[in-house]
Amino acid sequence: MPEHSGSHALDGQAIRAVDLTKAYGHADSPVYALRGVTFEVRWGERVALLGKSGSGKSTLLNLLGGLDRPTSGSLDVAGHSIARLTGRQLARFRSVSVGMIFQSFNLIHSRNAWQNVKLPLVFAGQQPRERREVARRALEAVGLAARFDHRPAEMSGGENQRVAIARALANRPQILLADEPTGNLDSATAREVVRLIREHVEERQATLILVTHDEDLAAACTDRVLRLIDGQLAT
Amino acid sequence: MRVGDLFGLALAALWQQKSRTAMTTLGVLFGSFVLAASLSIGQGVQDTIERESHRSDFLRKITVRSNHRGANADSAGKQVEVAGEMSDAKRDRLRRAIADHSPGKPVALTRDKLVKMATLEHVEAVVPMFWLSGFAVLDQQSQLASLAGVRPESIDCRRRLIAGEFFSSSRQPVCTVSEYLLYRWGLTDEASIAGVLGKKIRVELRGPGQQRGLRLVLDKPEGEEPTLEETIALEKIKEQLPKVLDFFPLPPDQSRLLRGMIEGKDASPASVVSEEFTIVGVLRAATPEELKEPWDPLRVSADLILPYETAADFYFRQQGTEERGIDHAVVVVDDERHTKAIYQQILDQGLTAFTVLEFIEQQQLIYLLIFGGMTCVAAVALLVAALGIANTMLMSVLERTREIGIMKAVGAGNTELQLVFVIEGAIIGSLGGGLGVLLAWLASMPGDAWVRSMVAHSVPVELKDSLFVFPLWLIAVTLAFAITITTLAALYPARRAARIDPVAALRHE
Repeated sequence: MPEHSGSHALDGQAIRAVDLTKAYGHADSPVYALRGVTFEVRWGERVALLGKSGSGKSTLLNLLGGLDRPTSGSLDVAGHSIARLTGRQLARFRSVSVGMIFQSFNLIHSRNAWQNVKLPLVFAGQQPRERREVARRALEAVGLAARFDHRPAEMSGGENQRVAIARALANRPQILLADEPTGNLDSATAREVVRLIREHVEERQATLILVTHDEDLAAACTDRVLRLIDGQLAT
Repeated sequence: MRVGDLFGLALAALWQQKSRTAMTTLGVLFGSFVLAASLSIGQGVQDTIERESHRSDFLRKITVRSNHRGANADSAGKQVEVAGEMSDAKRDRLRRAIADHSPGKPVALTRDKLVKMATLEHVEAVVPMFWLSGFAVLDQQSQLASLAGVRPESIDCRRRLIAGEFFSSSRQPVCTVSEYLLYRWGLTDEASIAGVLGKKIRVELRGPGQQRGLRLVLDKPEGEEPTLEETIALEKIKEQLPKVLDFFPLPPDQSRLLRGMIEGKDASPASVVSEEFTIVGVLRAATPEELKEPWDPLRVSADLILPYETAADFYFRQQGTEERGIDHAVVVVDDERHTKAIYQQILDQGLTAFTVLEFIEQQQLIYLLIFGGMTCVAAVALLVAALGIANTMLMSVLERTREIGIMKAVGAGNTELQLVFVIEGAIIGSLGGGLGVLLAWLASMPGDAWVRSMVAHSVPVELKDSLFVFPLWLIAVTLAFAITITTLAALYPARRAARIDPVAALRHE
């Protein structure tokens, strides 16, 4: 089992969600994105979250990534109870414990590849010399050694996603959260991106949560599939 | 997160929006420039007034005059009963009008008053100021000459000494003569000028006597004055005129009229006061440069200069002067801190007095108000610039919503994001404030030259130092003000940035 730290021991579980609910809108007439979701993910396990659009996949991923808090229920990720973390602790959790890959890459357009990859290291408080080296290695690992100084607009979609993967992995998080990582890519590039993600997850024995609606991708990349239908896990 | 990284992110964001940053900074620069310039000239003018005041010791001097209007006019007016039905305001107005038209008892600057002022604590000297005109007789030759008394310490007289020495005591029978008086006597070469040193000079003050009446005046061509002999001859004619009036071929009524005008009006002979003084030195006239120096009430220009107490003794030997007193006197105080107190004590004696200190304080107050106003305008300009910054940064927060969401997703905390925006404001403030001070300093060079030329045209004062000053406190205050204002302006946008929901921000296009 990979080494991990956290405020709560999870008895070998990387993620444990119990009766997780997320509602939006006014309290009088809430709109539920997640309704009583309960599941566990072991350390090193690769899990696909499958579901149609609007089924609550991205909402669940945002909760797992500490970008949002649950309305009710408990959610423990990498030993951290998400609902109980302060704003500062949550920011730290996002920068160190998890790495996120988005369908639309979410790179800062005014910064080059190297600066984008460096960003989580900056917020984690790493020394400049150290983070320069880490960012360089991360970009080399995704095959972008020649693209250090290129801005997102100067690279292809596949290259941008590879920069996003390098950024997500830069802090060596033990949990990787990927939200439709191949959604905006052509099939050849998508295969290359999937290969990279799988390679890095296997190499680091990281836990992977992959949100997708692509059954084939889920089967190729993950050990287990969780299906979400209207905010609930299908049994 | 490291402090250096916070600055790095702020600088990167500013650099990303170069034009907007430049325009915002320009607003702060302008406000800071006006602030620094107004503070600089305000302080510079205050310093200049103070420095010019201290270059001479005239702050220690009080000019005292007789009070011809009467010391008790105001108090007499207050006691006047104004009868009749009227409002209190009208009664007061009438009372003041009566006071203005009620001559009080005039207070003359007599010898007693001079002695009394000299005994006041912190009074160093009381120098009577009068310009007498009398006849100076040297080697049987007379010349109409002006005469004044000065202190032995007079720097002005001492530096104009071209032969002999200046007197060392305030009371001794000696005098200095002017180079011009010697010229009028025909003594022009160096040897004859040196030759007068040690010689006795007789000075005669001739007055018309106690009573007013007929005066005979010899009107000579311009530039020529009547000699002593001519004056004595005229006085003799005046004395004998009543006796010889019948010999004039005048009609009886005119003869009677003239007799009425002359007889009994001036029975006493002319008042003549005469004394001998030893010439100890020769003085040249003041140069144009010396005349440009700060005004000094003790500076005199006369043909004959006597120690001031000797001059006063001589003056008071004339008929009627004990009652009439002198025109004015200069009271020299030991330290300018005591000038106001002594000034008040002199006023309490019923005399009128003037001190430059009061004038300077009024001037300083006026300048303080003017430059205070300018500073307020500058502060408002900076506040307007700050509103511009707040607006610009709010726009920036809106434009950078997605970027803020991305930064939050990869680990940025609310505090860190707030700090980045606040630092952006502070950087704009530092840059604008620093450049504003620099611009004010650069502009002060031609500005100072211009103000100097204006001053040189209007007053005979040569300013030695710049009218603009940039002390450290001024730089610090301007910078601190600019940084504080811009930082405060950035607080609200910063809070808005920190509150952005990362999930919503990542969906933002």
